[in-house]
Amino acid sequence: MSDGALDLRVDLGRGCVLPNPVGVASGTFGYGFEFEQLVDIQRLGAIYTKGTTPLPREGNPPPRVAETAGGMLNSIGLQNPGVEHVAREYSRSFATWRVPVIVNVAAADVDEYVHCIRVLDGAPGIAGYELNISCPNIAHGLDFGLDPLAAGRLVTAVRAATERCLVVKLSPNVTDVAAVARAVEDAGADAVSAVNTFVGMKVHLGIRRPVLPNRGTGGLSGPAIKPLALAAVARVRAAVRIPVVGVGGIGDAADVLEFFVAGADAVQIGTANFADPSVALRVLDEVAATGERMGLRRLTELRWQPAPTPA
Amino acid sequence: MSDLRRARDETGAVIAVEELGGGLVELIAHLPHLAATARAGEFAQLRCGPGPVPLLRRPFSVAWIDGEHCSFVFERVGVGTRLLAAMRPGDLLTSLGPLGTGFTLSPSLRRVVCVAGGLGCAPFPLLAAQAVALGIPDVVVLHGAATAARLYPRERFTRGLTGVQVVEATDDGTRGHHGLVVELIGAALGGGLDAVYACGPNPMLAATARVLHGGAAVPDIREVSLEAPMGCGFGTCLGCALPVHRDGGTAWALCCREGPVMHMDAVDWDALRALPPAHVA
Repeated sequence: MSDGALDLRVDLGRGCVLPNPVGVASGTFGYGFEFEQLVDIQRLGAIYTKGTTPLPREGNPPPRVAETAGGMLNSIGLQNPGVEHVAREYSRSFATWRVPVIVNVAAADVDEYVHCIRVLDGAPGIAGYELNISCPNIAHGLDFGLDPLAAGRLVTAVRAATERCLVVKLSPNVTDVAAVARAVEDAGADAVSAVNTFVGMKVHLGIRRPVLPNRGTGGLSGPAIKPLALAAVARVRAAVRIPVVGVGGIGDAADVLEFFVAGADAVQIGTANFADPSVALRVLDEVAATGERMGLRRLTELRWQPAPTPA
Repeated sequence: MSDLRRARDETGAVIAVEELGGGLVELIAHLPHLAATARAGEFAQLRCGPGPVPLLRRPFSVAWIDGEHCSFVFERVGVGTRLLAAMRPGDLLTSLGPLGTGFTLSPSLRRVVCVAGGLGCAPFPLLAAQAVALGIPDVVVLHGAATAARLYPRERFTRGLTGVQVVEATDDGTRGHHGLVVELIGAALGGGLDAVYACGPNPMLAATARVLHGGAAVPDIREVSLEAPMGCGFGTCLGCALPVHRDGGTAWALCCREGPVMHMDAVDWDALRALPPAHVA
């Protein structure tokens, strides 16, 4: 790379160096196999896979998705083929890909998380893990994400089980997201991603009940949550030194750069992938071009340095 | 499972937006890839407007192909279809397609019947044309709607082709058979059939499946086109789950990949009946 040129690489730690900061968010890209047939996924910064659980899951009854103003609610229920299948079958494809694959792992207790990590640790082609401690759509999905002590204990146990890069996906459905971020950093997380979906509800007046089944709630994503996600990234950035992966409502290059201003080191594009399968690649190209035009050497030069809070 | 490699994102000009009466709208757009590749029963994900509302694309069956033009039939049920209906010639429409699993057609079939309830008419103009092109000599379209004004115009099923016959039914008796379209299936079966294809509201599809369950005159090819609230349309969001029979129990199948067309006997009709209609989401 010539002197003065924009360096897009992002070091998440433990040898997990992303070629660029534009990744795709868990739950919006499967394991890459559908998108592989539609676009050149190898150029992406990273694929954060669908949440993967100890055993296969069929997912929740429909309806599972509902659109809202500028957003989308989902209650998929972590439908996935289970960690053994991912480790045995999918990882063989991952190993042939240039794009780093970070497997998102979701489980109900510490032992299950550690079990998943041990199974995946024996598989090739996995650049790291994203611990999903923030799924709003399954029983116990949020247990670890809401409590800094529980989150710290979980990360301590998982940290002891792997040398691979460990990203922890934070829940926004907490009073103090910074406290959870600090706890997982102290416990050995290499990076955090902020944030998962916000618990939301859509009501259908005609049937006088929520559109989504069960408790009637789902996870809200899309442009509607971008200001909330930016605020969460800024709070987390102020609380930790490890890299922060920003996620929430990103749809274009300006959104990406705004997350860098708020304190992100990398980003994930989520719901926008559903509306346009090539959006992440287009955004990547635009981010690179805009960064060059701005004369940046690293996108983190955009970072806002907040004034100290008055006493 | 549908082959996503056939799908392509393309943007083309709207040619016309036609009011068909009774609230039905047919939108015609210049979409050469879709026109060259779509098979009856497959769909396209259409971007309905430039802004964040609606955020997601909407799935529409390809209703008709003429050269490089494709048409879609819908009514104004939400923000997406209202925006589509408000498009004018020259506006740009973005389409990802063809997507999904379509109807089973083959040159060995001699007589096929389409059962179309209301907007379930959408896939059948193209099916009739592709059936005729394959040399299937006898295509019958049974088309029902609440009232005559809401029937898709019969000449748009036939489009001047010989061998395509349309039989109509209305709930209020304003045209054709006074009653449900499903009541017309028995007479059609009498002539001997090689395939039945159905599209329409879930209760109509369930009734069609019941009429065709068992019996000597029932053909092997008995297919329904279903719908479900969809996020992506290509199997990634896992949002469009439908209940199907699998391994002796009920499992979820994705409407967008395993469907929208499935064998009638694969669908768990009891479980489907318990779900809210797709438009609720």
